[in-house]
Amino acid sequence: MPDDRTEQAFQIHDDSPARFRANHREDSFAGASGVLFEQAMAQTRMAICLCDPTQADIPIIFSNRAFRKLTGYDEGEILGRNCRFLQGPETDPAAVAKIRAALTAQEVVVVELVNYRKDGSRFWNALHLGPIYDDAGGLLYYFGSQWDVSEVRAARSEEQHAREMARELSHRMKNMFSVIGGIVNITGRSRGIEAEAREINERIQALGRAYETTLDDSSRGTVEIGQSIRAVVAPYDPAGNRIRLLGNGLRTNFGAVSVLGLTLHELATNALKYGALSGDEGTVDIDWQSDRLERDPTFRIDWIERGGPAVNIDEMRPITGTGTEIVDRLLRMSGGTIERGWDPRGLQVTVRLPLQVDRA
Amino acid sequence: MNPVIVSPVLHPHILVLDDEPMILLDLEFAIEDIGCIPLAALNTTQALRHVENGCVTAAILDVSLGGGQTCECVARELAARGVPYILHTGDLDRMDEAVRQLGGKLVPKPTPASVVVSTMLEAAQQSRAPEPQ
Repeated sequence: MPDDRTEQAFQIHDDSPARFRANHREDSFAGASGVLFEQAMAQTRMAICLCDPTQADIPIIFSNRAFRKLTGYDEGEILGRNCRFLQGPETDPAAVAKIRAALTAQEVVVVELVNYRKDGSRFWNALHLGPIYDDAGGLLYYFGSQWDVSEVRAARSEEQHAREMARELSHRMKNMFSVIGGIVNITGRSRGIEAEAREINERIQALGRAYETTLDDSSRGTVEIGQSIRAVVAPYDPAGNRIRLLGNGLRTNFGAVSVLGLTLHELATNALKYGALSGDEGTVDIDWQSDRLERDPTFRIDWIERGGPAVNIDEMRPITGTGTEIVDRLLRMSGGTIERGWDPRGLQVTVRLPLQVDRA
Repeated sequence: MNPVIVSPVLHPHILVLDDEPMILLDLEFAIEDIGCIPLAALNTTQALRHVENGCVTAAILDVSLGGGQTCECVARELAARGVPYILHTGDLDRMDEAVRQLGGKLVPKPTPASVVVSTMLEAAQQSRAPEPQ
């Protein structure tokens, strides 16, 4: 590299601000502020230039080391030229027009545009441009700062791409759950088992709702428990005043979603048939939080029914039925537990599941 | 053989538009269950043909119909004729702004076909209710 020594010299000491000051004793670069200017310009990693609006075509009259480093040009190749020498074939004319308008109006402008280094490589330049005035309010310089935002832009477009993919995936998944529902219904009809088909469908759809909320957020490895709970129970409370959700914010791994979805579906179905949601008055409170009393990371969901049909404890038997059995076994297999408490005011259930937030 | 005349008043005709045949069939059955006559359409051309025949009482429209097509033109035509409709969609977020502005109750996918149909009935009844008897 021919410029290696020069480059090293720049890193040790950049004397261009000092030379610029020496030539501009007439203005604000004198005194303490001048020393400050000199040191700040030499040290900053922000590429900076000053342009002279009193000369034809507003040439660059000062550039710091970072500017030379960013663009690959020597000082001699920069001074005296208009900033547009950094532009090239892929520079958006609209961005250039914005710069020109700001210069004419003496306004501050921030634009991102494609610029080219001396070696022809392109980069995205976040250009900040603004007028500098003297004490009397006369236009003295244009100040320009350049920042290479190529990587920022790449990350931004990657992120946007990931978001679009997640959305598309979500859309297809929801459609697929709809199609599955159709298949189950139609098969049920053709076999004369509509009731069974409906029951299967309700479970599948509850699962679909529990997953649905995770899809829009699928770039993350974890799911918000509350969103899944809300989605699963929403259809059981069309007016939105019977089920209260008390927890917030807790996240866990995807693995918990199906168990969580099916468990809450079963609890809600039972509440609708026999419990607090069977009449016009009852309510269900659902709370969730991490359970600090357990040895391993655990979260608990409390399901509290109130105002349903009177519960006579003596008459209560443990709930049996396929739905309940499925839930109990599912929870056991996932390392969780379920406790049902018989309070005269209504059913109380506590579900515990392992809380996993490890990142793959 | 005499043509069978089916009165749209006695037998409401419900337009169902969806590019997914399985969903369409499921909705067709659910519409028959409530004693209405389904008019199925897999695309906007078929749907508009039903609308132009003038016998649609209410409609269930899937919003995105594949290939970037939406149900907008059908929704507009229905709105112009004062026919109530609901929007059945798997993508509430990305739903076309033009379609959203048309109004029409949204039913997210997946929703059981019977619930979609009862939502459509409610919307149809509400749209009729404010008119003087």
